[in-house]
Amino acid sequence: MYLFIARRLFFAVLLLLAVSLVTYLLFSVLPVDPAALTCGKNCKPDLIAANRVRLGYDKPVLEQYWLFLKGIFVGRDYGMGQAAFSCPAPSLGYSFSQHQCVTTLIGKTFPVTAYLSLGAFVLWMLIGIGSGAVAALNKGKWQDRLANAFTAVGVSLPTFYVGLLVLFSVVIWLGILPFPHYASPFEDPIAFFQAMILPWLTLAVLSAASYTRLTRNGMLEAMNEDFVRLGVAKGLKRSVILRKYVLRSALVPIVTIAGLDFAALLGGAIITESVFTLPGMGKLSIRAVVESDLPVLVGTTMVAAVFIVLANVLVDILYGVLDPRVRTK
Amino acid sequence: MAEVVLSVRNLSVSFNTPDGVVHAVNDVSFDLQAGETLGIVGESGSGKSVTAGSLMRLNNSVTATTTGNVVVNGVDVLNCTEDEVRGIRGQDIAMVFQDPLSALNPYYSVGAQIAEAYQVHHADASKDEVEQVVIDMLTKVGIPHPETRLHQYPHQFSGGMRQRIVIAIALVNKPKVLIADEPTTALDVTVQAQILDLMMDLQRETNMAIILITHDLGVVAEVARDVLVMYGGRVVEKASINDLFVAPTHPYSWGLLGAVSSLEDLQRGHLKTIAGTPPSLISIPSGCAFHPRCEFYEGVGSRCSSEVPELRTISSGQSMSACHLDDVQIVSIGKSKVLQ
Amino acid sequence: MNMRRSIVAVSVALATSVIAASCGGSSSGGSGDGTPKKGGTINILSNAEQIAHLDPQRNYTGDDLAFAGSTIQRSLTTYKFAAGDAGSEVVGDLATDAGTASKDGKTWTFTLKDGVKFEDGSDITCADVAYGVSRTFATDVITDGPSYAMTYLNVEGEYPGPYKATAAQQAAYDKAVTCDGKTITFNLKSTVADFNYTTTLLAFSPVPKAKDTGEKYDMHPVASGPYKIESYEVGKSLVLVRNDQWSADTDTERKAYADSIVYNFGLDESAMDERLIADAAEDQTAVSAGILPENLQTIFEGGDKALTDRAVNYYDPFVTYTNLNVKSLSCIDVRKAIYLALDRDALRKAGGGPYTGDFADGFIKPALALDYKKATPVEGLHEDGTPNVEAAKAAMASAETNCPDVAAHAKAGLSFYYPDTDIWKKALAIWIDSMSKAGIKIKPEAVGDPAQYWPTVMNPETNYDIARGGWAPDWANASTVIPELFTTGGGFNLTRNADDPDYKAFETKIEEARNTLDRTEQGKKWQELNQFVVDHLWALPGTFTRAQSMWGSKVGGAFQWGPFGAFCYGNLWVK
Repeated sequence: MYLFIARRLFFAVLLLLAVSLVTYLLFSVLPVDPAALTCGKNCKPDLIAANRVRLGYDKPVLEQYWLFLKGIFVGRDYGMGQAAFSCPAPSLGYSFSQHQCVTTLIGKTFPVTAYLSLGAFVLWMLIGIGSGAVAALNKGKWQDRLANAFTAVGVSLPTFYVGLLVLFSVVIWLGILPFPHYASPFEDPIAFFQAMILPWLTLAVLSAASYTRLTRNGMLEAMNEDFVRLGVAKGLKRSVILRKYVLRSALVPIVTIAGLDFAALLGGAIITESVFTLPGMGKLSIRAVVESDLPVLVGTTMVAAVFIVLANVLVDILYGVLDPRVRTK
Repeated sequence: MAEVVLSVRNLSVSFNTPDGVVHAVNDVSFDLQAGETLGIVGESGSGKSVTAGSLMRLNNSVTATTTGNVVVNGVDVLNCTEDEVRGIRGQDIAMVFQDPLSALNPYYSVGAQIAEAYQVHHADASKDEVEQVVIDMLTKVGIPHPETRLHQYPHQFSGGMRQRIVIAIALVNKPKVLIADEPTTALDVTVQAQILDLMMDLQRETNMAIILITHDLGVVAEVARDVLVMYGGRVVEKASINDLFVAPTHPYSWGLLGAVSSLEDLQRGHLKTIAGTPPSLISIPSGCAFHPRCEFYEGVGSRCSSEVPELRTISSGQSMSACHLDDVQIVSIGKSKVLQ
Repeated sequence: MNMRRSIVAVSVALATSVIAASCGGSSSGGSGDGTPKKGGTINILSNAEQIAHLDPQRNYTGDDLAFAGSTIQRSLTTYKFAAGDAGSEVVGDLATDAGTASKDGKTWTFTLKDGVKFEDGSDITCADVAYGVSRTFATDVITDGPSYAMTYLNVEGEYPGPYKATAAQQAAYDKAVTCDGKTITFNLKSTVADFNYTTTLLAFSPVPKAKDTGEKYDMHPVASGPYKIESYEVGKSLVLVRNDQWSADTDTERKAYADSIVYNFGLDESAMDERLIADAAEDQTAVSAGILPENLQTIFEGGDKALTDRAVNYYDPFVTYTNLNVKSLSCIDVRKAIYLALDRDALRKAGGGPYTGDFADGFIKPALALDYKKATPVEGLHEDGTPNVEAAKAAMASAETNCPDVAAHAKAGLSFYYPDTDIWKKALAIWIDSMSKAGIKIKPEAVGDPAQYWPTVMNPETNYDIARGGWAPDWANASTVIPELFTTGGGFNLTRNADDPDYKAFETKIEEARNTLDRTEQGKKWQELNQFVVDHLWALPGTFTRAQSMWGSKVGGAFQWGPFGAFCYGNLWVK
C-alpha cells in the first residue's frame, strides 16, 4: 500500500513538471505578445522591448522555465535599488499586472474556491444522492419522473445562464438577498453565507443532476442483485437493505466520479465565480488568460493539476477502502 | 404422519410488464412435511423460481400480483404484515440461491453476513455469542479455519466454498424450510455432489424440509422424495421420485424423460430439449398449455386447446397428472415411454 | 471578460485618456440634485478586476485619472471639478495657481500651497514632487504611464530614473527640476505653451521617496487628497475612507461629500446594468461607467423618465478615423474617391449604431471648446454617412487624367491593414464592398495578434495604403491632437505625409500655433489646421465616439467631467 502511494506520488510530481513545462512551451508559441498588451499610448517598439525585459519574456523559454523551477525552491528576486522586491520560496513567480507574488495570489483566492467547492459539493451530493435514491425507490412514479426531468434539465442547462437567472431573480428583481459581497467566514459569517448561498445552490443543483441519474441507476441495478434478494430473505429491514446493500453498492462508482469532479472544482469554478463575483481561483485563471499573465497561468494550472493528481490517488485509495475486492487483491 | 411445515394453496402470481401481463404461476398447491425434500422441475420460464420466491414473498411488490395462501408456522406469508413476514424470512424459511458469488454482498466479510442473518432474529445475542455461532456454522458447512476465514470477503472464496457460506447463512437460524433454487447449477460438476451431500447431511441433522428447484432431473433423482413438474406456470405432474421415473403420467414428463438419452447424461444433468418452444407466459396457449408441443393433441382433439386439464390422481397409484388423456391411456403410454 | 476595458484598449484606439464634453441624454447632471450634503457611501460598480494603475506615474486612463485625481491624489494643477466647458479650465491644485511660464515658454514654475500634507501627516514638499516626476524615467518599473516628463524635461545625458541612477545622473535630473523652498521649477528642452495642462496628469504628482515601493506602489500609493486607501483587494474591492490630514482650506475643487467610496470589482456586466436599472436599496448610491448595448434602448428610449434621468449618453475622449498613406496615394483625387465611396453609415451600424458615436467632421472633438469649430467637409460628402458613389466615380475619373499611376494602383488593389478580430472582419467586408463601387480594389492584410497591430503599422517597413486610427488627446488642448497625428515628429503619425507638397506650409503653421501663448488665438489656429487636414484628406474622419453611463437614484453630482469623459468621482454625494 505505501509503495503504491509512493509510486503514485512520484509519478504525480513528474506529471506536474510536464504540465508546467507544457504550459510554458504553449505560451511561448502563442501569437500573443504580453509585452504589447498593456503598453497603451506608448506602444513604441523600444518601450515594448523594455516591457518585455521587465516581464522576463526576453529570455529563452527554457531559461524562463528553469528560473521558475528554481523559484519554487529558493524564491525569486525582482528589480533593483529601491524598487527591488522578492517572492520568497515557494515562489511561482510574480504577476506584474496584479503586483503580487503568484503564491500570495493563490493563497488569497484558494480559500474562496475551497469554500465554494466544499459547500457546493456537500450540497450536491446530498441533493444528487437523495433525489436519486427517492427516484429509484419510486421507480416509474411521479417522483421518478420528476427526478428524470431534473436530470435532463440539469445536465443541459449552462451554469452561466442559470447563475445569472438566479442572481437576477433572487437579488435584483425580488431583492430577497443583498448583492453578494464576499467576506471571509471568520470575519463576517453572515456576509459570507449571503455571498455563498446562491453560488452553492446553483453549482450544487446543476452538478447534482448527473449524480441523481448515477444514484438512481446504480440503485436500481443493485436492487436486482441476488445479494439484495438474499438480504430480504434474511429478514432484514428494508431500511437496512437499502443502506447496507443497495446504496452501498451504488455509491462505489459515485465516489470515484465525485472525487474527480471535486478536484476539478478546486482548480477554480470559473463560470460560477465570475457570475457571482467570488474572488476565487477560477476568476484568477480566467483573468490570467485574458491578460496573458504567464506566471499566474502556470501557477493556477499547477494548483489545479495538483488537485486532480491528488484526487486520482485519493480516489484509488478510497476505492480500495470501499471495495474489498480491490483492497485484498 | 409428519408435521406439515409448509402449505401452499392456489398460489397464482402475475407480473405487470410493459409488454403485457405475465402469468408466471397459476393455481399451484402442495404441502411439505418436516424432513421431506420436494423437487420442483421444469424448463426456464415454467414458473418454478417465481413459485419459490412467492414462498418468502420476495417478488417485486410493485409489479407482482400474488394470490392464494402460503402458510408457514401458522402464518400466511402472503396475507400478513411486512413485520410478520420479516419474522418468518430467515427464521422459519430460508433460501439458497443459484449463483453464490452474486448472492453474497461483496462489501462485507462472510462472517459479518452470517452474523447479520443470525442477529436479525436474535437481537439480544452478545458479540461473543454471535461469533461462536458464526464459527460453528462455518465449521458445520465445512469451511476450514473458520476463525480466520470469517474475516475474508466473498471474492476470496472458491465457488463451492461460497455456496457453503450461502448455506451457512440460510441455516444459521435452523429454519423449518429451506428453499434451494438451482443450488448447484453454477458450480463445477465435482463440487455439485459435495454441496448436495452437505444439504442432505444438514437436513438429517435438523429435520428441515427442503424445496429443491432445478431443471436438472439428475439432481432431483439424487435427493428428492417427491417431485412437482411445472409447465407454463402450472403443476402438470406431481409424483414420488420413483413413480416419476418408473411410471410418469404426463406427456411433458414423457418428453423430459425421453429426452434423457443415457444414464450418463442423466447423471450429468444433460437434458435434451423437447420439440417446440416453451410457451410465452404473456400469451399462454389456451386449454392445456402444453398442447402445441404434445404428440397426443390430435388424438384427443379440441378439448386440449379449450379446457385446462385439472390435476387429478391417476387411478393406478399416487401420482397426479393434469392431462386430458384418460387414465388407462396415461398408464399404458407412460410405461411404454419408460421402456423405450 | 474585461469587455469595457478591452474595447478601449483594442478596438477603439491606442490612446488612453482625457478630454470630452458632456452632452446628450440627460442634462449633464449636477442640476436639480438639491443641495449636496456630507456622509454616506458611494459605490462604484466595475467589470474590471482592479484599477489599471493607482501608481500616479503609471495612471494613464481617463476614468482612472478622474477617479484617483478626484479622491486620493493631487497634482500640481487640475481641471476645475465642473460640468460643461468650465471643466476644461486649468487651476492650481497643490500649486497656488496654474503656474508661470518664462517668456520663451521653456521654464515653468509652480509654488506649493501651505498646509498640504500626505496621509501620514508629513508636509508635501517640492522634493516629493520632483521625486514623483523622476519616477517616470524608470521605464523598467514605471510602465504604461505618460512619458511627457521624458519628452519635455531638459535632462542632460541618460537618466534611468531614481532606482538605478548614478550620483551624476541624479544630479543632471536635479538640474532640470529644481527646488527653492516651496517653488518647483521645470526646465524644458523647448517651448511648451501649455505645460500647465501637462501637469494636470497625475504623473506630476508627489511621491514620498521613503514610501516608494517601486512596482508595488501601485497597490498602495500614499494619499494627498481627501481620501486614502483603507483596503484594496484585487478582484474584490477598493475601499476609500477620509484622509484626516487633508485640509479643505488648501483645496478649491475637492468637496469630499461621501464618507467613503467603494470600488466593487469583477462584477458581471449584465448584472451591473440590471442592478442600476432595478435601483434597489444598496444600489441607489451606486454608479457605473458603461452600459451594455442591449440595455441602451430601454434606458434612453424606454419612456421611463426617472430612469433616463439617471443615465447619460456623452462624448468620450476618442475620435476614430482612417489613415491614408499619402506617399503611395499621393493624388488627392484618389483619396477623395475613397472617402466619398466609403459607406460610413454601414461601418457605424456594424460597430453598434448611433450609440457608438456621431459622424466626425474632423479630428478635434467639440470638448476642446476653444479649439473646435465644425469643419467644412469635402464637397459631395453625405452628412448621414451614406456613400456618394457618383461623386466617388467622378473623382476617380479625374484621377485617371491627373494621376494615372495612382489611379492604376487603386484599381490594382490597396493594402488594407486590419486587426484580425470579428468587428474588423465585418468592417473589412464593408470596405471591400464600398470601394468596389468606385472601381477601387482592397487587398486585405490581417494582423493576427490585435496587440501587434499598432507596432506593425508604426513600423516604417510596413507598406500599407490604408490603416485605422483612433486618438484621444492627453489634455484639453489640440496641441495634443493635430501635431501628434500629422507632423513628422508626432508620436502617432501614420499618414506618411512628409512629401505632400503642402506639408512644409502645414508644419510652419503648427509651429506658429504651438508658440502662441494666447489661448484663444491659439485655438483659432488649431481650428484652421484641423480644416487643413480635412481638406487634404491625409486621414478620413470617422466618428466622435460616445459612451453611456448610469447611476442610482440617490447619487448627487453625477455629471460627466469633460476632460476625462468620466464621473467626477470625488465630488459625488449621497442624497
